[in-house]
Amino acid sequence: MEEAGKTVNMSRKISRRRFIKRTGAAVGVATAAPAVRAQRAQRSATGGRPFDRRTRIALTVNGAAHEIAVEDRWTLAELLRDHLNLTGTKIGCDRGECGACTVLVDGKPVYSCSQLAVWADGKSVQTVEGLTGQVGDGLPASARADLMRASASPLSALQQSFINHDAPQCGFCTSGQLMSATALLAVNAHPSADEARAAMTGNICRCSNYNHYVAATVAASQRSTQNSQNSQNRQNQNVSADSAISALNVVGDTRSQNASAGSAISALHVVGHATPRIDAEQRVSGKAIYTADVKLPGMLYARVLRSPHPHARIKRIDDSKARALPGVKAIITHETCRVVWGAGSIAGGQQYNDEMKRITKQRRYAFNNPVRFAGEPVAAVAAVDRHVAEDALQLIAVDYEILPHVLDQEEAMKPDAVKIWPDGNVSLNNRNEAQPISQRRGDVDAGFKSADHVFEDRFTTAFVHNAQMEPRSAVAHWEGDKLTVYTPTGGIANCRSDIARDLEMPPEKVRVVCQYMGGNFGNKNQNQDADLIAAVLAKEAGAPVKLELSRNEDFIGVHGRWPTTQYYKVGLKDDGTLTAIQLRGYSGMGPYRKNTGAIGGVDVYQCPNTETVVYPVYTNKTVSGNFRGPEYPQGFFGMQSMMDEVAFRMKMDPVDFILKNMTRKFRDETPYTSYSLDECIRRGMEAFDWKKKWHSAGAGQGPIKRGSGVAFLSFRAGLGRSNAVIRLDASGKYTVHVGVTDVGAGAKTTMALIAAEALGVPLSKIEVVWGDTDRCPYSVGESGSRTTIMTGDAVVAAAQDLKNQIAEKGLPRGNDVLLASASPNPQLEGKVRNTFGAHFAEVEVDAELGRVRVMKYVAVHDCGRVINPLTAMSQIKGGALMGIGMALHEDLLYDPRSGVALNAGYYGDRVLTHRDAPEIDVIFIESDDGYGPFGAKSMGEASKIPAVAAVANAIFNATGRRMKDLPITRDKILSGFEARNSGLEVQR
Amino acid sequence: MKSFRNVNPRDVRHAVTLMQQARGAGQDATIAGGGSDVLGMMKERLITPDVLVNLKAIKGLDEVKAENGPGRGVAIGGLITLDALSTHPLIRRQYGVLAEAAADVATPQIRNVATLAGNVCQRPWCWYYRNGFKCYKNGGDTCYSFAGENQFHAIFGGGPSYIVHPSDTAPALVALDATFRIVGPAGERVVPAAEFFTLPRVNAAHENILKDDEALASITLPASSAGMRSTYHKIMDREAWTHAVVSAAVVLHMNKDVCSRAAIVLGGVAPIPWRVPEAEKLLVGKRITPDIAAQAGEAAVAGARPLAKNAYKVPLTQAMVRRTIEALVATA
Repeated sequence: MEEAGKTVNMSRKISRRRFIKRTGAAVGVATAAPAVRAQRAQRSATGGRPFDRRTRIALTVNGAAHEIAVEDRWTLAELLRDHLNLTGTKIGCDRGECGACTVLVDGKPVYSCSQLAVWADGKSVQTVEGLTGQVGDGLPASARADLMRASASPLSALQQSFINHDAPQCGFCTSGQLMSATALLAVNAHPSADEARAAMTGNICRCSNYNHYVAATVAASQRSTQNSQNSQNRQNQNVSADSAISALNVVGDTRSQNASAGSAISALHVVGHATPRIDAEQRVSGKAIYTADVKLPGMLYARVLRSPHPHARIKRIDDSKARALPGVKAIITHETCRVVWGAGSIAGGQQYNDEMKRITKQRRYAFNNPVRFAGEPVAAVAAVDRHVAEDALQLIAVDYEILPHVLDQEEAMKPDAVKIWPDGNVSLNNRNEAQPISQRRGDVDAGFKSADHVFEDRFTTAFVHNAQMEPRSAVAHWEGDKLTVYTPTGGIANCRSDIARDLEMPPEKVRVVCQYMGGNFGNKNQNQDADLIAAVLAKEAGAPVKLELSRNEDFIGVHGRWPTTQYYKVGLKDDGTLTAIQLRGYSGMGPYRKNTGAIGGVDVYQCPNTETVVYPVYTNKTVSGNFRGPEYPQGFFGMQSMMDEVAFRMKMDPVDFILKNMTRKFRDETPYTSYSLDECIRRGMEAFDWKKKWHSAGAGQGPIKRGSGVAFLSFRAGLGRSNAVIRLDASGKYTVHVGVTDVGAGAKTTMALIAAEALGVPLSKIEVVWGDTDRCPYSVGESGSRTTIMTGDAVVAAAQDLKNQIAEKGLPRGNDVLLASASPNPQLEGKVRNTFGAHFAEVEVDAELGRVRVMKYVAVHDCGRVINPLTAMSQIKGGALMGIGMALHEDLLYDPRSGVALNAGYYGDRVLTHRDAPEIDVIFIESDDGYGPFGAKSMGEASKIPAVAAVANAIFNATGRRMKDLPITRDKILSGFEARNSGLEVQR
Repeated sequence: MKSFRNVNPRDVRHAVTLMQQARGAGQDATIAGGGSDVLGMMKERLITPDVLVNLKAIKGLDEVKAENGPGRGVAIGGLITLDALSTHPLIRRQYGVLAEAAADVATPQIRNVATLAGNVCQRPWCWYYRNGFKCYKNGGDTCYSFAGENQFHAIFGGGPSYIVHPSDTAPALVALDATFRIVGPAGERVVPAAEFFTLPRVNAAHENILKDDEALASITLPASSAGMRSTYHKIMDREAWTHAVVSAAVVLHMNKDVCSRAAIVLGGVAPIPWRVPEAEKLLVGKRITPDIAAQAGEAAVAGARPLAKNAYKVPLTQAMVRRTIEALVATA
């Protein structure tokens, strides 16, 4: 990077992305995609008897003897889940990459997805269900005795410890974590944290609650004697705040701080106390029912055939052989299923609705022709079991005319790039114009003219997959003209209206149910094509249909964070005051516009002249969509890396630069409802020891280098409206009906706490009804970090309504009930309501081995009042760890010539494991701005946003080399090697 | 998975017979050790056997046995799990490089089922192969990595295929001068570990000399001596559960502080475990100083031929070899 006027270009080396562009352009038309999964069909036709020979086996499961005839091709996981109804064992990847399916076989943890059921003949198997009550026979006697000591509780000491530490967030990985930890404790009663990490490292947690899983496991043995006391608390359904707080202390966290930026906040009697989730027991015992656990009588199993080509016209589909396969009940293709998937392509990329249905002309169907990305659905089959459905896919012959493709967003902007849509590759906005997303303030040209220094640089970010532990799935069931869809959605109400709109049905004829959900992280506040495909197949077959996506399909067939190219130009005065910021960006949307494609980050600086122009560009990669803070983690990486570099060039401490230039009013104009950025940074510096740790960039001698980085946060949650209904009966039970699904963040518990506080009753009196459109009123859905604010506000208002009614009518008696409801529409009166934060990271870089480790991490957040410090802690830690993964690892990599993703899945995408996760120190700065329920602000997305930049800036501080392209992998750390070793022959 | 029949052999000979019988009947047969990887490949339909020969049914082939007589080494059953191998007291004490290599494989869940023989015979994890591209390993006649995404591919011994051998235990076994006992229809043969693995220029479709109806039954390690020290260092792209980006198995025979014999075998850099004799020679007959270790690191990468995106492996390997030697000497 050089100051403008001297040299503007900063990338001397050929980046990977550029290489892709070159080769992609060169061979685009000519290259036929190789056989990917879908196309292998033709090669390996089924050997297929549909109803396979069975082998009789005898095994012990959780102490009970079973004799059962199994198909040789059933996995052990399949036997447990589908045939013994032990659905606590989850399938996250079906490839031995994630650990959700971990069970104990003869006392040892194994991936049950990667063992055959026939191989378990004569074995003793223990599942999560076996931890509760009857204690595992697979364990040594001493371990069994330890577990039995917890007999006052139906839960093991470990399960109880998991609850106390809020180890499960979405809960989908929890059974596996429990089994690995149980096996560890059986052989090592007092493991260290590192021993726990090693034992559980085969268990991925995408909520990234690794700190709490480890702490819970380490504490379990120490706490076993206290266990009965804790479980007693829990059984009383009381706020076991004491045990939870002590659990937090064990974790070593900084507890919620009431030191506030403005007004000190008052203590409340339920809200603000660390409280285990009200459904925690379900999450640690395998009782929580996720979509794939739903089993209906006569249910069929569906599979989807996907395009192996990134861009192709389907000339012919011959499914006659598949139809002839015994057990196949329905097949649909683009020829037979003309259902529009409205939420899959929206002009402008905002929330889908009737108006957008009218406007959107770049339509996406459940099945499209041409197909526009490798992984796009081509056909779907429903059959009597999952294997027959898979066999049938192999028998569908598809004749493709291969079209040229383009993968990179900048390449797609070139005049000679292949047009993915007739309108061109700039995605249409909500007026159907091919225009960029633009925002201007002041006069940037004048701003640059008045600057003493002008800097320019370019940053790129990768396609990063949400990778939530629960693969997408749907179970569709028609009863007459009423359709019930079980599906993992964070917005049951929007999902229902989307399904109704797409299937042209009245919304009241659609019921959407989501009781437990294995992670959200974005783009689940609408329907999915899986919902539609399952519904159409179920209609066609006349039977309920379950469609479960494989992990690979979830990666390549759904969506991830949009990759970006960001060009910045920044002007400033000699004293470091900003005069102008300009961003020109390109976001790769895939071939449909599911979401906006914006790049956010400019607005968090105080600067009179700014210009942001971002092009959402169509490419033939997997579709991009919202992922935790949709436009921010990548935007903050670019913007705050840029500003860190500017501070370096100006010879300023990055913290001083931030304090000088950070936002104080929204876009320098609109006041915030409360403001605490100075406080966040001050507290973070102290906790991190910034003044001592930060040094001049690349100053360290020797190959092992330490460095410190900082990034800050100002974030505005989404808006929306929600309703709540509270019912009080004569027994004194308050039933709160809210349209949340609890994606893992703890919304159900949050709503219960808010209700208890607002009603002035103990938590034990509250019951929550959630996750079912037939039983819950509208909620805006769990997206945009707004559930606590919006639905929580409605709960407060409904509670007020109920209190008014009680005051008027008295408490209900006999068979009477009181029913209260609210649909508030909170207004901010000309203010902007943001949350604030600062992240500080210290990394160790081994400059010879290219290894980067995060050694210390402090995350300071002002999320207003913290409703539940226990779950809030999990949210912040998880977000920060996800950000570290985005900084260092994650990138869905495409083969330039074939346009096929190469590294889909937890193994290939290098998602963080237990061993990768550092401890995250969390500091809450609480405030009450008078809005939201008790002053609560948003939290979930915010915690990821500054993390990527903080880590990247720390690497700069350590090495003196600016990392401009995500992810910061080993090859980038070690690059520059060619210069040092010129003369080395490289094969091309 | 395509429909198939699981069969349980009594012993390795029987396993071989069952495979032969299946093939004789026009069926495809595959053997499964721990099964994790084989099932994954079957789910992807990379392989579609009609008959799956389940070696786990065989009893007694999962032990570490001292060969009769002093100085005779140990025989390790091919079906020993990586977990059992990595925690076996004798292996840990005398053949640390092998215990460490086994402990570095994948995750506890996989090590609890994965076998030593299975790890040695594991198919490549090249993403083109695993995604079903019609490459040399998949019945085709090209290597997609050469002009594609080759950041994890070979810098030595490549061509026409540029895969890297995926096994952690294989470099350790080559460094230990192990011998492999192979059982086939005609009987047994014993080969040195180094001769077991084949370069793509010899056979681009397979990574070793096993024929379709042969199985690796057991592995013998020569006796260890008092002055023998060994270790395995592995570079991963995250802290667990990846194959080696680069690894080094180093075995040094020390006479007081002078090295009398050295074996350095690299993983993750070539289609076979890659021995670097020039680096070994630099150590023999010397006291190993940091300078000698650095020279060995340099010698280890002499002749490397990186592809467009994996040149970083060259300095990485160089530093890794140097540091592994230094670490081993420091344990004295």
